[in-house]
Amino acid sequence: MKTKLKQKSDAKLALALLFPSFALLLLLVAYPMISNIQISFFDQPINPRLSAKFVGLKNFIDILTDAEFFKSLGITLLYTVLTVAGSTIFGLAVAIFFNRPFKFRKTARSIIILSYVTPSISLIFAWKYMFNNGYGVINYLGGDVLHLFKEAPLWFDNPVSSFLLVVLFAIWRYFPYAFISFLAILQTIDNTLYEAAEIDGASAWEKFKIVTLPAIMPVLLTVITLRAIWMFYMFTDVYLLTNKVDILGIYLYKTAFAFNDLGKASSISVILFIILFIVIMLSRKRVNLNGNG
Amino acid sequence: MAMASTKKNRAVKKVSFYIGLIALLAVSLFPFFIMLMTSFKTSREAVSTTPTFFPEKWTFQHYIDIFNPDIFPYLAYFKNSLFVSLTASILSVAIGIFGAYALSKLKFKGRVTINASFYTVYMFSGILLVVPLFKIISGLGLYDTKTSLIITMIVQTLPTAIFMLKSYFDTIPDDLEEAAMIDGLNRIQIIFYIIIPLSISGIISVFVYSFMIAWNDYLFASIFLSDSANFTLPIGLNSLFSTPDYVWGRMMAASLVTALPVVIMYAISEHFIKGNLTEGGVKG
Repeated sequence: MKTKLKQKSDAKLALALLFPSFALLLLLVAYPMISNIQISFFDQPINPRLSAKFVGLKNFIDILTDAEFFKSLGITLLYTVLTVAGSTIFGLAVAIFFNRPFKFRKTARSIIILSYVTPSISLIFAWKYMFNNGYGVINYLGGDVLHLFKEAPLWFDNPVSSFLLVVLFAIWRYFPYAFISFLAILQTIDNTLYEAAEIDGASAWEKFKIVTLPAIMPVLLTVITLRAIWMFYMFTDVYLLTNKVDILGIYLYKTAFAFNDLGKASSISVILFIILFIVIMLSRKRVNLNGNG
Repeated sequence: MAMASTKKNRAVKKVSFYIGLIALLAVSLFPFFIMLMTSFKTSREAVSTTPTFFPEKWTFQHYIDIFNPDIFPYLAYFKNSLFVSLTASILSVAIGIFGAYALSKLKFKGRVTINASFYTVYMFSGILLVVPLFKIISGLGLYDTKTSLIITMIVQTLPTAIFMLKSYFDTIPDDLEEAAMIDGLNRIQIIFYIIIPLSISGIISVFVYSFMIAWNDYLFASIFLSDSANFTLPIGLNSLFSTPDYVWGRMMAASLVTALPVVIMYAISEHFIKGNLTEGGVKG
């Protein structure tokens, strides 16, 4: 009886405490998402004085028959796979490398994380300067000093080298996230497990497979899922770095604010949301999505 | 003999470890090094086709220039960024504390569902919401105001704050609260007298990360702002980049000063506060 009463008062209090957060997110996330669905059925120009026209499923049909959309989807998937794999594997390797006592460990760890905490805009200026065709240090080092290439690549001028550049940038910028996540879990692994494996004659790779991998699995899955979602919806880094790689975020942005077609942009949002929703549902069972770690 | 060789072996291992470490740190730091050195180079040297690592002639002119409003509107952008980021992160943390407490410590129906929905929002990306948010902001007459940016920034900072704060509150044992209740404190008092003081380092970390997210935003600023008087740093600097008269040294100086607030805040939360939250889930 008493506990029941307590639960009831808990529920009331919870409601009150959650209300501001809940209301804000309802207003700023849930309502806009529903509004997305509504707008996606209209031909909606950006100018609010021009009225919207109901066009049914035309926007969806337009997109699903647009070769540009599928090209963009393909680029985005490739970008996501490469950057997630690259940043996760590199982050894990660095974490294993760091998982021992050494001098200046804490300082070194902070330096590694620097690229992750610095604002995109600062890093992007540095990269644009480093990879500049004419006076960039990368072409100078790669061409004139190390002779890696005969003709200096015009990094920002063609889609392939631009794509390579945004992938490299993302791996460099986001591997520290994987690194800190893995370093924390690696420190919890009991050293005697490695010693036991060593006595059994396990090689370094076997030790990784038998001891390390199972221990880090939950973190690995979470890191991959979150990073994949965030990379799939990337906009800023790629948009600021080059105009040659039209990932879906940029395709959507351009449709809305360059081609002035809000309805079509909304239907892209709806399609992308459906993809996100499916991924969340699929990953839910395997990944701890309850926010407990 | 055998002992000498294992000793030698260990020395080789140690040396190769430190060589690896230095190479790794070089990869991480190289762009920062280029940024720093370029910011001290003359404009002419910065575009030399045989780039130098260290400036031949050191100049501090670029740092003087970015703080001169006649040359460069840097300070105005900086102030706008600071205002928007501070307001959004303070609001997010203040509101988030109560929401996160309810999700972490109170038992009620629908808790799991609400928790899951907050987590979904946490994974959400601003790009999916640009069209309706643009309509809502224009409809409210908030287009081209800093308020529009503060409101929409909460889309990103609030879910992150709730998610991080909740995982922090989860580590506080329930016994503490039960003891406090026996002493006659109610839930609200518990939040203020027990939960907040105990997790102050976590709260500061959450604030720093919220601030980082807001400080980094380019997307919303590019949609909601049109008057350069309202520009925040990312959009302001990028708009200067497209003009023909940008100066690399100046841009690099501006980039470094832009990075400074978050790097300093991060360093403080990392080194002077124990039990920081970098190990938790951080958005970005």
